[in-house]
Amino acid sequence: MNQHTVKAYGDELNQLTAEVARMGGLAEAQVADAVESVARRDIALARAVVDRDFKLDAMHRDIEKKAIRLIALRQPVASDLRKTLSAMKLSVDLERTGDLAKNIAKRALSLAETEPMQPLTRSIERMGKLVSTRLRDVLDAYTASEIDLAVAVWQSDDEVDEHYNALFRELLTYMMGDPRTISACTHLLFMAKNLERIGDHATNIAEVIHYEITGDELIGDRPRGAPSDADTAPGMGQTPLQPH
Amino acid sequence: MPFSDSPSPVAPLPSSRLWTASTTGGVAVVIMLLLAAARPDMAAWLLVGAAIVALVTWLGSRPVDRAVTVLGPAIAAAETPAGLGDNRLLDAVFEALDDPVMIIAGGEADDIAGRRIILANRAARDLLRIPRAGSLLVSAMRDPGVLEAVDEALFGGLGRTTDYTAAGARERHWKAWVRPLEASPGGGRTAILGLRDETDVRRMELMRVDFLANASHELRTPLASLSGFIETLKGHARDDSVARDRFLDIMAAQAERMSRLVADLLSLSRIELNEHIPPSGRLDVARAASDVVDAISVLSQDKGVTVLLDVPPLEARIAGDRDEIVQVIQNLTDNAIKYSAVGGLVELSVRSDLDTEAAAAPRLPGAARLSLLTPDRDATARYVAVTVRDYGPGMAREHLPRLTERFYRVEGQKSGDRPGTGLGLAIVKHIVNRHRGGLMVESAPGEGSLLVAYFPQLDAAPAIEAAA
Repeated sequence: MNQHTVKAYGDELNQLTAEVARMGGLAEAQVADAVESVARRDIALARAVVDRDFKLDAMHRDIEKKAIRLIALRQPVASDLRKTLSAMKLSVDLERTGDLAKNIAKRALSLAETEPMQPLTRSIERMGKLVSTRLRDVLDAYTASEIDLAVAVWQSDDEVDEHYNALFRELLTYMMGDPRTISACTHLLFMAKNLERIGDHATNIAEVIHYEITGDELIGDRPRGAPSDADTAPGMGQTPLQPH
Repeated sequence: MPFSDSPSPVAPLPSSRLWTASTTGGVAVVIMLLLAAARPDMAAWLLVGAAIVALVTWLGSRPVDRAVTVLGPAIAAAETPAGLGDNRLLDAVFEALDDPVMIIAGGEADDIAGRRIILANRAARDLLRIPRAGSLLVSAMRDPGVLEAVDEALFGGLGRTTDYTAAGARERHWKAWVRPLEASPGGGRTAILGLRDETDVRRMELMRVDFLANASHELRTPLASLSGFIETLKGHARDDSVARDRFLDIMAAQAERMSRLVADLLSLSRIELNEHIPPSGRLDVARAASDVVDAISVLSQDKGVTVLLDVPPLEARIAGDRDEIVQVIQNLTDNAIKYSAVGGLVELSVRSDLDTEAAAAPRLPGAARLSLLTPDRDATARYVAVTVRDYGPGMAREHLPRLTERFYRVEGQKSGDRPGTGLGLAIVKHIVNRHRGGLMVESAPGEGSLLVAYFPQLDAAPAIEAAA
């Protein structure tokens, strides 16, 4: 009967990673639902996303508490310590992801009051799909401890940036063409920005996974075509921001 | 140990015949009969009593006998090899089920790490990529809706049905149903979780919506111009033969464009509908490429564009639908010819036996590069790549992400006198995705563009199956 009250150390660690995986699942669902609420102008779904955010916050606190307890009571070392720390770090990233998803859902609510903007919401949907896929891949990498998959996600971060830049230009064109769309377009612009940041969190998660498994940091240039490297990193992100 | 023996040497063994009900009854009857012989005045009553005792004893022993006779053969049957065969049959049936089915063990209510998949059939193992030995439920399925439904079945004893979407290059929609199972002998709670594929239904619905939206939007412009010309022809251009001929030419071109648009939309819808079903045929990509070059020679000669074909000496076989692969190569080559200058050059090459990295490797130094479609990661796969290179105007980096969008056009570029429908690359992308391949573009303004479509090679297929 004792095994129920005094859990083995290994069980506690496993429980921590399982909690992070569950939190990841919820964050994933939040992002997917938020994007869908934009695409389908689904007010009920958007409200549900906003209302569910507190669960992620609670999970975040819970994971943090458990991790601290584990560190204090078990004094984990080496890979166990990295596992514990990365659970803490991931829960922070996932909680932020949830906040961004909630923000998208809130904007979806105000967007649903304006005229439908088919082609633009489609672009948001496409970018949302891409970001969701990255989030899913990186969480798959976490649950399966697959370092290759995590590195692959980390390396393909430029895809999201490219989509963001393309969407930015598209929105600008719309706003210049018809000033009445400016308020709706601004919402869409922030949504795109939020999605881009969710993509960044996925990259962060990939880095944490790399650290958890190998103990080394994943730093340096993302190995891509050398010339495209130079003009994407900071330069490309800036170009659309310059006033015309 | 002394305790294992009978506690008293006088007490009869538990198995002793002395303790059976019928013996006791028999002894009672004998005693009553003896008493009846000794006391004739009470003989009648004692005989009746003896008869009752005898009857009760017989009735009491009879059902036991019957139970033994009925159960006997059943127990005997369960112990024969035929009974074992039945269990194996059940296992085989479970394993062969087309829908993924899993048995989940509960653990404790507050411990998410306690939920384990203890049994999963082949379909479930393939879908969720879990080992035969089972895995943590949360590592295999993170969907909060499914986890909630499982918890409710395990600890609330209620079955539930919920939606589950397996995202990926080819999104699939499932209905997940969970039912609690009766407690197992060990006392642990278990539930059964099954998935039912509903991708077809969802896609149908989506396709109808998309088709209507696209068709109504894109056909409006040519239709408006047609009716405009008809009005003009009925009005003041009625007697102007020069204008009439010119208008009729434009109208014919518009009508042709409309019919091409409808054809492309229909083919796009059809491909999207089948996107999650892997193609069943086999073909040699090199042969398909040379067929395409023959087929479009009229178009290329009209424009004075030379198409250079470069294929490997060996066959480059892939699993795929021949018509669809031909359409991919044709659309890519068509585009390249369209955007080439008169007298230009288009290079079409097929390469086989590339690994994931080599298939998506950069080929144009200095050009912007973007993967338009990345296949699900598979380290063992080898790819056949079709590369189409043109020396046309090229595209700036910001256009690349939107290339496969329906009706997207790069601003300020003329595609010649035969404008496309804007669906060519969208069709390419969906076909490549259906074939589990990838699509990549490289381009720079003034440098031309290069598109690579790569498909998993067939020789590698047995290795994948062995690994799964």
